[in-house]
Amino acid sequence: MRFTLFAFLALTSPAIAGINAVVDTHALPNVARFAEATATLDVTAQADCRAEAVRPAFQTAFDAWMGVSHLRLGPLEENGRALSIAFWPDGRGMTQRTVNRLLQDEDTAVADAESFAEVSIAGRGFYALERLLYDEAQSKYDADSYACALVQAQARDLARSGADLKDAWQEFAPILKSAGDAGNTRYLSEKEAIQAVFTALTTGLTFDADTRMGRPLGTFDKPRPKRAEARRSGRSLRNVILSLTAMREMTAALGGEALPLSDASFAETLRVAQELDDPVFASVSDVMGRFKVEVLQLQITATKEVVVEEIGAALEVTSGFNLLDGD
Amino acid sequence: MRRRHFLSLLASVGLPQLSWADVGSPTFLAAAREPSGEYALFGLNAQGKDVFRIPLPARGHAAAAHPTAAEAVAFARRPGRFAMVLNCASGGVSHRLEAPEGRHFYGHGTFLENGAILATTENTIATGEGVIGLWARDEGYVRIGEIASGGIGPHDILRLPGDVLAVANGGIRTHPDQGREKLNLDRMRPNLTYLTTHGGIEEQVSLSEDLHQASIRHLAQHKGVVGFAMQWQGDLFDPVPLLGLHRRGGLAQLCTADLGEQLAMKGYAGSIAMTEDEICITSPRGGRMHVFDGQGTFKTALNRADICGVAASDHGMMATDGLGAIWHVDQNGLSRLGLADRAWDNHLIRLAT
Repeated sequence: MRFTLFAFLALTSPAIAGINAVVDTHALPNVARFAEATATLDVTAQADCRAEAVRPAFQTAFDAWMGVSHLRLGPLEENGRALSIAFWPDGRGMTQRTVNRLLQDEDTAVADAESFAEVSIAGRGFYALERLLYDEAQSKYDADSYACALVQAQARDLARSGADLKDAWQEFAPILKSAGDAGNTRYLSEKEAIQAVFTALTTGLTFDADTRMGRPLGTFDKPRPKRAEARRSGRSLRNVILSLTAMREMTAALGGEALPLSDASFAETLRVAQELDDPVFASVSDVMGRFKVEVLQLQITATKEVVVEEIGAALEVTSGFNLLDGD
Repeated sequence: MRRRHFLSLLASVGLPQLSWADVGSPTFLAAAREPSGEYALFGLNAQGKDVFRIPLPARGHAAAAHPTAAEAVAFARRPGRFAMVLNCASGGVSHRLEAPEGRHFYGHGTFLENGAILATTENTIATGEGVIGLWARDEGYVRIGEIASGGIGPHDILRLPGDVLAVANGGIRTHPDQGREKLNLDRMRPNLTYLTTHGGIEEQVSLSEDLHQASIRHLAQHKGVVGFAMQWQGDLFDPVPLLGLHRRGGLAQLCTADLGEQLAMKGYAGSIAMTEDEICITSPRGGRMHVFDGQGTFKTALNRADICGVAASDHGMMATDGLGAIWHVDQNGLSRLGLADRAWDNHLIRLAT
């Protein structure tokens, strides 16, 4: 018995042990939590569609999304899943336009889930729902209004996306875990699976620094506080914190104790984020406030550099050859 | 006769004329980085197997294959001042092309007149004007002239029937002193230009003002239709088209996928290939390839990390990625032809058939 166990352990390389941990202790539980939270959002909205009634479940579901939004490998990269849940950033104002059009036309697509799934992704997901639940002008709808039916359709659609993501990850998990096996056409070696997780991490950290923080920061001469993510629901900084927390967890799962510098850097960045007293980055327009937001942005970029270097050395991966340096 | 010219002549007559069949009949050329950190140019057969390997001194970009002789011109990555003519039989460098004073190469070139003339895309450093350099292959690659490319930043160049050249003037001005820094993004104006070496510019195609930051970069052709792949220099989160099709005398047709897939390309198409039924563009940044039908209607997205090189094969397409895999692409999606311990570079070059 003891011998068998030893043989089994010997067969599991540190690389694949890290992948198994990412899947079993991080991705699958977080995806399940997201499916549950969106299901609750749906039930809540169907019971009482008015903004104040739906907001708490919206916040919980959005929190759960931050636990999975960085998992940009497999299901979230396919079939437009990520953007139909979270259509942001939206530089061309498509979310507002699509929501307005649905309201104006009283589009009958809200009647059933299949039809609503055909609506533009700009009119679905958290950011479209946020307009209706939090926008001053749009959140005062009545229980028997078209807006109410739209909120219910959006909540149902998110629950559907949550369930679909959970199913897709059940299918995807064994593929990721069997990287390099004969017959695995998706990941041709263990290293490719590590590379995919690594790319998701660096992409996620870049997104936090350059997009979640970078868009509201704009430039010194032209700050863009209204571009802060989910500012209507007061979540801009919270999303950064939850996203960093999730990526710290994924890094720990991937490398275990082999990545102490990355963990320490995440801890420091999270400390800076938690001390920032500016939930929607509204202060980017004044010099002192802007400085504090920039410090956090720099800190996230620093964490990314530590992660790239430490994981790169420990697991022998690098960022994509063509991805980084095209022409 | 100038001394250099004479020496080149000597070099070219000194070697027997070997054809592609003499070096294993490769169907494709592709550059790669090897695990040791070295770079090499590979000849690949139709099944994606290596038929030759030639070391390169630095990372390459594209290569231009001679239509008949076993000879390839490998360009340094821009802003490179050198290109090398590789003898694919001996693996040696048979000539070294040096960009004239005040010019640098952009990384692509093509042969004309049955392989007698090499045309290269170049930058006039002082003014930013694009130039097509002309080199006489049979005289040992001596520079014989140049013509205006019709825009700034000429990148890919394609030979069409009748020795008409299609040039992707990407529109982006760079200066070697500032590396790859883009100096004119707010006023860039890319175009697709058709020209001949004797008659100059025959036709130019540009896009509407709102797409002036869509850099027209790489080209492919099929039966009189030129496909162009673009790289968006505006907001990455704008879902702009990355593929255009053009037939001489007509208007450009722009092709897009649905909103979600369009955004997933991250504003970047790295390579393009066309066959009878399909047009493919690749995005290593989005980890995917977009497949359109011959009319430019989006069919499907195929996911693969760091995929970039793509070229038409005899039965569909072949594609390469930075993880070392070679893929056959058809209606069933991606199926693996090979996997090597090397990172395939941006482009897969199909040899003339």
